[in-house]
Amino acid sequence: MSLEFLTLDAPAVARSPMERQARAAGARFEVRDGWNVAVDYGAPEREREICRTAAGWADVSHLAKLELQGDHGLAGVTRRGGAWWCPVSDRRALVLGARGSMPGPDETEPEARVHVVEVTSNFAALTLIGPLAREVVARFCALDLRPQATPVGSLRPGSVARQPGMVLREGEHRFMLLFGWAIGEYMWTVVQDAATHLGGGPVGQSALEGADA
Amino acid sequence: MSRLPEHPGERIDRQKVIRFSFDGKTVEGFEGDTVGSALYAAGRRTFSRSFKYHRRRGLMCCSGQCPNCIVAVDGAPGARACTEPLREGMRVEHLNARPGLEFDAMRATDLVGGPFTPPGFYYKTFIRPRRLWPLYEKVLRHAAGLGRLPRQQPERMWRTEYRRRHADVLVVGGGVAGLEAARAASRLGADVVLAEEGPELGGRRLVDEAGEGIAALAQDLRAGGVEVLTRASALGYFDGIVPVWQGDTLHQVRARRHVFATGGIEQPLLFAGNDLPGVMLSDGARRLASLYSVKPGSRAVVVTTSDRGLHAALALHEVGVEIAAVADLRQLSGAPAQDLGERGIRVLPRHTVVEARGGKAVAQAVLAPVGGEEADERPLDCDLLVVSGGSAPATSLLLQAGARTAYDAARGGFALSELPDGVQAAGEVAGAGEPDSVAPSGELAGLEAAHAVGLGDERSGARVPELREALAVARAGRPAVAVPPPASGARRGKCFACLCEDVTSKDIAYSVKEGYDSIELCKRYTTVTMGPCQGRMCQLPSIALMAQETSQSLADVGTTTARPPWRSVPMGVLAGRPIDPAKRSAIHGRHRDLGANVKWAGDWRRPYDYGDPQAEALAVHHGAGLIDVSTLGKLLVRGAEAGAFLDRVYPNRFSDLRPRRIRYGVVSSDAGRILDDGTICRLDQETFYVTTTSSGAGAIEEWFSWWLADSDLEVRLTDLTQGVGAVNLAGPRAREIISAVTDVDCSNEAFPYLDARQGRLAGVRCLILRIGFVGEVGYEIHFPAAYGEHVWDALLEAGRPYGIRPFGLEPQRILRLQKLHVLVGQDTDSESTPFGAAMPWIVKLDKDGDFIGRSALEHYARETPATSLVGFTMSDGHVPSEGAVVVDERGTPAGQVTSSRYSPVLGRVIGMAWVPSALARDGVSITISDEGQKLTAELRTRPFYDPDGEVLRS
Ligand code: FES
Repeated sequence: MSLEFLTLDAPAVARSPMERQARAAGARFEVRDGWNVAVDYGAPEREREICRTAAGWADVSHLAKLELQGDHGLAGVTRRGGAWWCPVSDRRALVLGARGSMPGPDETEPEARVHVVEVTSNFAALTLIGPLAREVVARFCALDLRPQATPVGSLRPGSVARQPGMVLREGEHRFMLLFGWAIGEYMWTVVQDAATHLGGGPVGQSALEGADA
Repeated sequence: MSRLPEHPGERIDRQKVIRFSFDGKTVEGFEGDTVGSALYAAGRRTFSRSFKYHRRRGLMCCSGQCPNCIVAVDGAPGARACTEPLREGMRVEHLNARPGLEFDAMRATDLVGGPFTPPGFYYKTFIRPRRLWPLYEKVLRHAAGLGRLPRQQPERMWRTEYRRRHADVLVVGGGVAGLEAARAASRLGADVVLAEEGPELGGRRLVDEAGEGIAALAQDLRAGGVEVLTRASALGYFDGIVPVWQGDTLHQVRARRHVFATGGIEQPLLFAGNDLPGVMLSDGARRLASLYSVKPGSRAVVVTTSDRGLHAALALHEVGVEIAAVADLRQLSGAPAQDLGERGIRVLPRHTVVEARGGKAVAQAVLAPVGGEEADERPLDCDLLVVSGGSAPATSLLLQAGARTAYDAARGGFALSELPDGVQAAGEVAGAGEPDSVAPSGELAGLEAAHAVGLGDERSGARVPELREALAVARAGRPAVAVPPPASGARRGKCFACLCEDVTSKDIAYSVKEGYDSIELCKRYTTVTMGPCQGRMCQLPSIALMAQETSQSLADVGTTTARPPWRSVPMGVLAGRPIDPAKRSAIHGRHRDLGANVKWAGDWRRPYDYGDPQAEALAVHHGAGLIDVSTLGKLLVRGAEAGAFLDRVYPNRFSDLRPRRIRYGVVSSDAGRILDDGTICRLDQETFYVTTTSSGAGAIEEWFSWWLADSDLEVRLTDLTQGVGAVNLAGPRAREIISAVTDVDCSNEAFPYLDARQGRLAGVRCLILRIGFVGEVGYEIHFPAAYGEHVWDALLEAGRPYGIRPFGLEPQRILRLQKLHVLVGQDTDSESTPFGAAMPWIVKLDKDGDFIGRSALEHYARETPATSLVGFTMSDGHVPSEGAVVVDERGTPAGQVTSSRYSPVLGRVIGMAWVPSALARDGVSITISDEGQKLTAELRTRPFYDPDGEVLRS
């Protein structure tokens, strides 16, 4: 008996804690890898425009997350096979990415030095993307996200909207906020409030994928 | 209209007329005007009524420093008319005058109240009779204050928000010194933010040369990436964080270095009637003329302690103001006096003003030799009295940052004497306000700030001594200034030291006579420096008056402590966005769908009930109930020595717990007091799953981490609280319900009480714990939070034939009380031990090794606790308040009720209370004092429901 109960492999649909707010904002959902994912908000082109000119936010809580415990050997944040490998401390690291990009047991437990815990639904996540993304985050987070302090590919743990969280800088204008699952609704409210005021809006996976392309 | 002919540098666009209203009447101005300049141009001289005496007040500084022009704009009180930009259709209203600005009934306090309203009269007058205080308070509150806010605001009327900004260098002050500092630092590669309080950059250059050259400099800065904030007031200095208020935004600027180029504040003079409309600071009058092309008066008298007033006289004369005379407090006037003489303007050396006369505004100024005889007085007719009492360096922010000042007798003010690390000063605030020193001083500060953050090169390094040299030369050639007398003509009428709070020179003298003879005490007693100007206009005058009254030097009197905010700021700006952090379980949406009565429970939003707590409790007894317990803390403790670790942090034993078994645990502090409780399930040899109370989750995670950090045990901790959802299915039909949706054999034989199993439930992998907090057969089901609604729905659906009901916290509290299950934090406090809380069995003093709290618990084990936690049942139907007092036969408090409820299944009121241990026996009768009522209760030491636990184990 160990940690099977943490595994997300049910035939049921897994849901983000922000799903209801995304729905209220007009999200259209598709089930992807067992998760109900907001694909768009009815206007994909406008969403892409928001990402180019202001700040879009997208619920990416469905990304898989693993916690590595032990000598992970990571010197800094690295990107492997589409997943972010983020050391949080000397003995702890977080791996996150699309389900298919996640490491198998062989990759994470070399010589059994590292133990792995599935923490996908420990952390909800929002991606903020666009030239005003950093400005939006500055409305509720005091972390120094200037490029000289937080270059692309770095992770900053700290207070996000007065709650424990982390910010991963994925690109020049792209930040992923990671926070507790239970504060999902609160975080959506905070981000929506700040981003909308600056001309931003919710965007779906299609817009995010468009930005990646 | 008193508009001057068009001239270069004016800020108004005469082609664009702007209409707005003042007290309901339409007024016209031009684009580029401020509310103040437009009203002044339209002939208005009274802008406000004073705080206490309701005297007329008019424009004085025209730069947002004084309290004289505070108005409400579109319902928001607190705006300075002289800096508020004009907008089409804006609604401007006066404050603090009833029925109107022109006739204010409260003016009677000035006419008759002066001698009857000395400092502290509120405290002396309104204390008797005490019962009338509520009435006094109402009246005083009505009379006091600066404007009104709507009593209730369904939504906030104005959006305000925080913005965090990190920077290498923050420059406060957008005058020449600040601009030069920002340019120097940014040229070396620093990330610079510049905050200017006024509507535009330029500082004194705006007055002297209508901002000549400033636009180009600003352009240069912006091109170099400097973030320039205007109308942005730095409010304080908090260990390197400077909040900068700009409109609806509070920028929290976190810079590595700070340059304060906050300039100086032109000081008023104290004389009888020094607050009459038409008494204006020299820079104020010049601003009106040069920036807004408003003629400040037709005939002016100018009184000055320095060349500043002489320059003002020249500038005003230039635009057509007749100068009746200039009084210079110095014996020898500066060079501009010659220019004035050539224009036929009289300059009276060693003269000052002793009185301003007039009704609604100044009509006459009385000049006299400094310290001279009444016979030498010169009354001069005028409609403008321009005064310049020197300049006080604006050191408040620097002082908050740790700088020091010292009295400079030659300048008659307090000058910077010491700077703390991390901070530079530039321009007038640093004693470099003259035209030839202000720019080098700014450049020097900018270079030093950049160097301090590791930027710069050899050239910039070499520039530093050059600039220092230039500043030393400039300092030696500064023109002289006179130190004005503390007050002149005080016998003739009120001389206001503090315009904000209506504190006169006599009030300061009175305060000293009453024994408040230090400047800090005087400040608190008279409220001088505590108004909206925050001491900008009144600190130096009040220190001078205090020195005079106590026969001390100004240096000995010293200054009051500089405190934030440096500018008055709406509370809403400090409040930020009105969004409270709340935790919600993954099933929360379903609770809302079901009409739950949701309330705060710690930092969670939880269903208290679904409309009928009693029926929900009964459903658990008669069929089944389902409660969301996702809020429980959930910690994974893993590693070869996980059992040993738990043995160390709990007083009972866990290393001997068999896999798939569960044990109750109480966490105690090193003082043996109860911190938290929960269940511990051993998943496998090296893995324990620990639950804590909902409110204790964070603290216990920290507690475990704290002890782990200091141990060499091979243990890893993961907090799964938010990632794992949990529900508790309980009731006589619970087994049938769960069996319908899980592949786990839930028969009592296969899955007995206090066992744990993993399996699938409605397709979702789950950990099922067989425990029973509510007293019926129960299964606590844990699963990934992302499947929360699915699991909840499946159980409710499966339970429908058995009468399942969701139940909330309130029925849960009834059910657990029936079992006398302790709620940590509710039934215990920071002094409670497991012995007092009737759980001596949890402490295993016979176990090997040390554990947290061992020595304290050994001590408590030898003693009978003074009080014990027991159950009680009421003799009548009264439900005593939680917190009601248990009293002994003499009526002395002897204990406390911690929980009480009506139990629908028992049909009576039950509860838990701390009572003297000697009484803690079944059947003993106690008295509870509850809000004046004496109630009788009978004690019970065993659970009210299923005392032997047969139901739970069945
Ligand atoms: S005249 Fe407006 S603040 Fe002084």
